[in-house]
Amino acid sequence: MSVDQSILVIDGDIISRHAIADYLRHCGYAVVEAATTDEAMTALAEAALGIDVILCDIAAIGERSGFELAQWVRDNRPELEVRLAGSLDGAARTAADLCETGPHLRRPYEPTAVVDYVRQLRAARGRA
Amino acid sequence: MQSNSMPDTAEHAADATRILLVEDEFLIRMLVADHLRASGFAVVEAFNGDEAIAILKSGARFDLVFTDVRMPGSTDGLALLGFIRAAHPDLPVLMTSGHLEPHLAYAGGAVRFLPKPCDLDIVVDELRAALGPAT
Repeated sequence: MSVDQSILVIDGDIISRHAIADYLRHCGYAVVEAATTDEAMTALAEAALGIDVILCDIAAIGERSGFELAQWVRDNRPELEVRLAGSLDGAARTAADLCETGPHLRRPYEPTAVVDYVRQLRAARGRA
Repeated sequence: MQSNSMPDTAEHAADATRILLVEDEFLIRMLVADHLRASGFAVVEAFNGDEAIAILKSGARFDLVFTDVRMPGSTDGLALLGFIRAAHPDLPVLMTSGHLEPHLAYAGGAVRFLPKPCDLDIVVDELRAALGPAT
């Protein structure tokens, strides 16, 4: 997959969403962040965004669940690739799979680092 | 920095100016975030005040918060401003709204107020002015 594509990241947890989106941006993708499936539907209605791939947390909130959004996409926008992630580790692995050769900027930048970073932030939030 | 922590990318480099953008209108948030990134800022997008507080409590470092006022959830922009003034007294907050009277934002401790709608280039200018000459 080339990196001149747009990925829609749907996740209701800002820490996870930003970490995954940040990772993908540094792989060279244009990334659109949606906090809910409702926001995702708004993004999908905007042809100018040129969304190619959707990375969706199955626990995403909104009028549609993550599964329902994926089903809607398969039924209505079959040209789009949908990847569902059930965990942060799954999302990080999927992001790494999309990146293929890894981010273009500084190294190392491994998917496990994304997961570790999110865990650190969540732990810090728990202590705050 | 530990090897298993987030790497030294542009978004996380010590010298990157990090903006926490808080806006519930998806398309507005996306447009503003894209414009700020294109202007050289590192941007974290929060879709309401509750998300903003969550990321602030995580210990993530920010140089400025740019927030809307009317947002869904339990924390509107003024409540977020109050949280920041109490928990992060040195963190500047720039507010924007199509409804709020500017004096309320300033009374709460905002460093600047932009009425909506606002030109994206003006937003960048105002952010840089609020951040100081180093940006």
